[in-house]
Amino acid sequence: MNSQYLSLFVVVPLAAAALLIAVRRPALDRALMIGIPAGMTLAGISLLVQHQSTPVIAHNVGQFPGGVSIPLISDTFSALMITVTSLTTTVTMVFLTQTREDRFRFLAPLAIMLTAGVNGAFLTGDLFNLFVFVEVMLLPSYALISITGTWRRLGIGRLFVVVNLLTSTILLIGVGLVYAAAGTVNLAELAGAASRDPRIGFAVAVILLALAIKAGVAPIHGWLPRTYPATSAGIMALFSAVHTKVALYGIYRIYSTTYEGEAPWAPIIAIAVALTIIVGSYSTFGEHIMRRALSWQMVAGVGHILLGLAIFTQFSLAAGIFYMIHHIVTMAALLLTSGAIEQTYGSGRYERLAGLARRDPWIAVIYAFALLSLVGLPPSLGFFAKIGLLQAAANAEGWQAWFYITVVCVAAVGTLFAMQRLWSGVFWGPSMENYRPEDPNGGRAKRVPLPRDLLVRWNLAAPGAFLVGVQLVFFVLAGTLVPIAQRAADNLTNLEPYVTAVLG
Amino acid sequence: MILPITIGVLVTGGVYLALQRGMVRIIFGMALLSHAANLLLLTIGVSAYRGEPLADRTAVDVAADPLPQAFVLTAIVITLAVTIFMLTLAVIGHNDDTKRMPATGEFHDR
Repeated sequence: MNSQYLSLFVVVPLAAAALLIAVRRPALDRALMIGIPAGMTLAGISLLVQHQSTPVIAHNVGQFPGGVSIPLISDTFSALMITVTSLTTTVTMVFLTQTREDRFRFLAPLAIMLTAGVNGAFLTGDLFNLFVFVEVMLLPSYALISITGTWRRLGIGRLFVVVNLLTSTILLIGVGLVYAAAGTVNLAELAGAASRDPRIGFAVAVILLALAIKAGVAPIHGWLPRTYPATSAGIMALFSAVHTKVALYGIYRIYSTTYEGEAPWAPIIAIAVALTIIVGSYSTFGEHIMRRALSWQMVAGVGHILLGLAIFTQFSLAAGIFYMIHHIVTMAALLLTSGAIEQTYGSGRYERLAGLARRDPWIAVIYAFALLSLVGLPPSLGFFAKIGLLQAAANAEGWQAWFYITVVCVAAVGTLFAMQRLWSGVFWGPSMENYRPEDPNGGRAKRVPLPRDLLVRWNLAAPGAFLVGVQLVFFVLAGTLVPIAQRAADNLTNLEPYVTAVLG
Repeated sequence: MILPITIGVLVTGGVYLALQRGMVRIIFGMALLSHAANLLLLTIGVSAYRGEPLADRTAVDVAADPLPQAFVLTAIVITLAVTIFMLTLAVIGHNDDTKRMPATGEFHDR
């Protein structure tokens, strides 16, 4: 792929969103909201293939000379993130059409606009441009989080907007401080700058703080488990696949480029990571609703992903990136399957659901495989992801090795028990007797006896099942994924190709 | 010193208002905070140089740095859009203090 085509990753979704706002055709809505992320997945794979020979391709938008222009840069890390998030987005969009959520007038254009921001954030090599693309991603989300509900979701939308606007303001201040201290916001020019000059180091730390809030790192994670579960399952899966992951990508990229290794305040990362993992996995116990429990697991996952950054070796970065891929796919599979159960049986509460393993064995099988992946037991991609992290932790220096291994193992035990609680609440126990069917006026109708033949329809179960299948395939073919993660980590530790490609 | 003091006052007011109950006050707080951020961005261009940054019109040694101004312009647009959206949420959401449910007749059981 020629480097000037990189801007198509942003331009095509934006143009499609504009088209869908002007033209009102439900069939076109569906075709584009599924087709565009699917096309992005293929384009991402072709980029990955190309990066086997050329590590970095960069395009200076508008052909301005390097250093002045805004660069779009693709390397293995960003291409991998585009591929995985686009694949998950495609499956989520299919789910949204199956729950008939695409009947809301602006859902399709907003969701496509969201992917434009996500792709832009992955490709940009300019800090201010990163801020802009994060905003392009967030503005449709503000609407999406409350579009599929009624007044109750508006309250959650308020919390989401206020937290994200505050964080964006902090991010903007950080970008401004970087410009004041370094005279540039071009990431390639900032390579190694933060470790040379403490003023730039402080400015970069402000940016990283903002991204950490957006990622949901403890102790500033509280907004995430309160807002995400309140929206619909499809939208939550979409958000979990892209929002926190864009922030994590930004943290990985900016930290490793500007600090080129350990920051002087690296112990803070270690503490925050350990806190995030423990808080996330043990808070799961306190929840009685499937998607709320899973949102705490998202927090724990953020901690696991950042563990790779906290150790900061070539291997640990690769392990962190590998965990990120696993987490995106597994979390989306769990959320979509939970959504299918909620849609069919009218509730996601442990108390309201029971005996689904007997009643609906296929859903139980899908959910079981996804849970195995979440906990990190074979056969699943999560097994290799967790082994990679533990291996990286074991190679860390001194106290770090023991500390990280203890944290990961203690958290895994917590996750295992919390997920058993979910399993016994939802899939075991006596048969369900009544449920609230969907009300044509919105929401749920009065409680009625549960008909014997009511099962999760295959078209609702298929998206989650597909993602479970994807992670099972990569359990077998993990050998193909490991070199890609290693090349992605190589992009972060060996900055020379990146800098030469951008600045010429 | 006027700019730093103004930024400080704006941040103080913004934090105070953002911690209040009631969506409208929070929105005003967020507006003050973003004004503070915008002023900070302008300061970055070193406020001593403030000639309009146009070639052939202003000598380079008095012209302002155009990049922070572009930053501020982008940020203002984004904040304005989000502020209007938040005001909409404040109007159509429920009452902040009583948590009274609007009578839509629907029932949710998550």
